[in-house]
Amino acid sequence: MLTVDFMNVGLNHYLVLSAILFVIGMLTVLLRRNLIVMLMGIELMLNAVNITFVAFSHFNQMVNGQVMVFFVMTIAAAEAAVGLAICVSIFKRFKEVNIALFENLRG
Amino acid sequence: MSVEVALFYGLSFLIIYFGLGVLMNPNPIKAAFNLVLTMVGVAGVFFHLQAGFLGGVQLAVYAGAVMVLFVMVLMLFDLEKERDAFSEGFLGNALKLISVGLVVSLVINSVLLSSDLQSAKGPGATVVKDAEITKKLADLIFTEYIFAFEILGVLLLLVAIGAVAISRIKGGTHANS
Amino acid sequence: MGSDLIEIGINTAKLLVIFLMMVQIVPLLVWVERRGSAFIQNRFGPNRVGPLGLTQLLADAVKFLFKEEFVPDKNRRFLFYAAPVVALIPGALAFAAIPLSIPIEIDIMGKSYKFLFQGYEVGIGIVFVLGVSSLGAYALLMAGYGSNNKYSMFGALRASAQMISYELALGLSLVGILLVFNTFDFQQIIDSQLTNFVFMGTETALPNWGILYQPLGFILFVVAVFAETNRLPFDLPEAESELVAGYHTEYGGIKMNMFYIGEYGHMLVASALIVTFYFGGYDPIFWTPGELVATYGNVMAALLLHVVFLTKVGLFLWIFIWVRWTLPRFRYDQLMDLGWKTMLPWALANTIITAVVAFWLRA
Repeated sequence: MLTVDFMNVGLNHYLVLSAILFVIGMLTVLLRRNLIVMLMGIELMLNAVNITFVAFSHFNQMVNGQVMVFFVMTIAAAEAAVGLAICVSIFKRFKEVNIALFENLRG
Repeated sequence: MSVEVALFYGLSFLIIYFGLGVLMNPNPIKAAFNLVLTMVGVAGVFFHLQAGFLGGVQLAVYAGAVMVLFVMVLMLFDLEKERDAFSEGFLGNALKLISVGLVVSLVINSVLLSSDLQSAKGPGATVVKDAEITKKLADLIFTEYIFAFEILGVLLLLVAIGAVAISRIKGGTHANS
Repeated sequence: MGSDLIEIGINTAKLLVIFLMMVQIVPLLVWVERRGSAFIQNRFGPNRVGPLGLTQLLADAVKFLFKEEFVPDKNRRFLFYAAPVVALIPGALAFAAIPLSIPIEIDIMGKSYKFLFQGYEVGIGIVFVLGVSSLGAYALLMAGYGSNNKYSMFGALRASAQMISYELALGLSLVGILLVFNTFDFQQIIDSQLTNFVFMGTETALPNWGILYQPLGFILFVVAVFAETNRLPFDLPEAESELVAGYHTEYGGIKMNMFYIGEYGHMLVASALIVTFYFGGYDPIFWTPGELVATYGNVMAALLLHVVFLTKVGLFLWIFIWVRWTLPRFRYDQLMDLGWKTMLPWALANTIITAVVAFWLRA
């Protein structure tokens, strides 16, 4: 039988928080149709992963995890830049950024 | 209840509430503002976990630069009335929800069942200063992870050129169709 | 916050006082701005209400409070109301992290306490202030979107583009300061500026201020900070000849006033940062804080040093006003050119040269 300790906040609590945030991000990517909102969902998932890294690094007293967060942030910024550039070019063509329009991305 | 615990639950409530706001809000600009608040909450968690430098960077880079970019692009498009905000089809959505539920239950179960994690109790009495952690972080980045760091620099350069190239093509991604 | 009730109480009161300081400096600054602009343009300015027109502000405040409330007729009410409040937050948070004077050590009821002369101590001060002040763009974006007005929208878009562009130069010009002082902490930065400047092994009469190490960084920082505060010559977001009043077109009464407080709060933070990084913070040039403490006692010395700090900040606030009423506004493409093609390369060059020199001197 699992017993959950709500009062002593430890590593587990941060991991569960991160899992919930990750799921919210995943649902945003799966359920929403707007391209930019889907990008936001990806940002949410990356943030969830960052929480995990920082929590592990704090509770194990190793800074290596924080280095990873640093890299993840850079990648996220790069991904947002390219994603938004694609959105801009889709919008120029169709005046909308719905994911359904990606069917036209052929050739 | 100590201040630490209350802070943790307050921050988690904020993060989850505004995260759900991103998911539920049909207006993309309002979703973006919700995402900003989620990011601020995550920065709060970083400060709480004594990762002050990362918290500051999170505020400056994520909540500051990246999200301003998002909101700016959304406002350029002015997508007030959005067609099909959510994906349709009962079966597809049910499958998606079930798979997501499986993933989260697996993750949370494995977290709760692993006894190694329970024993990790954190720094305890020895409170480390933010400045020292930042110094350690710099040492690691510029010695052990220097190769990854350099690669990231190259990647950013590529992304900058690529973003300009993509958004400058006339007629979008498929001018010929 | 503290170990017992007295300490917690005093620290909380301190936070409140520092916030009120920011709010209370606004009417004074508005008066200085109106009189100063009148002086620069050979006019009189407000001089009827009270001595020197000083109580004009009181009349204005009353007018602001009793104005009819106007809300645009669209379903964006929450953002419209939230924007003026959000405008206050970054300035208040950032200002509370800057040390305004030396810490005060006193005994209360047989127990000795040490109170810092700042809202709260952040170990990574520079990163914290940069992060918090980068949130300032949201107030403008929310105002622009919530107003549901084309002019407001354009103002907000311009503001966000401008803030992103100049944040790069702002951050990079601070890297020089980081390399010179080798720390993120404001207190340590100020402490290392309290001695005399040493040039080629001989001690000179000059104070050891950051501007002597980073003259180019200083210029870049000041220009970037002007752009971040959306003041002339960078006030494209509210260019009244093009956009009516930009993002505050639809705002009136007390909401407008809160935007003012936010703007002047931003100016205050900017001046305080310039003084802290480049002009020695509360450094009283001819003495050291230790000597002042020995002569006047701890509390008196802290207050004196605080006055020194405020004098320096006031000087830079006056420069903000002076520039506003002297220089014309940039065109939008000129603004972007300056940010990306001039300031960014110079800031990069400054960083590289500082890094090489610092490495060479410390090796």
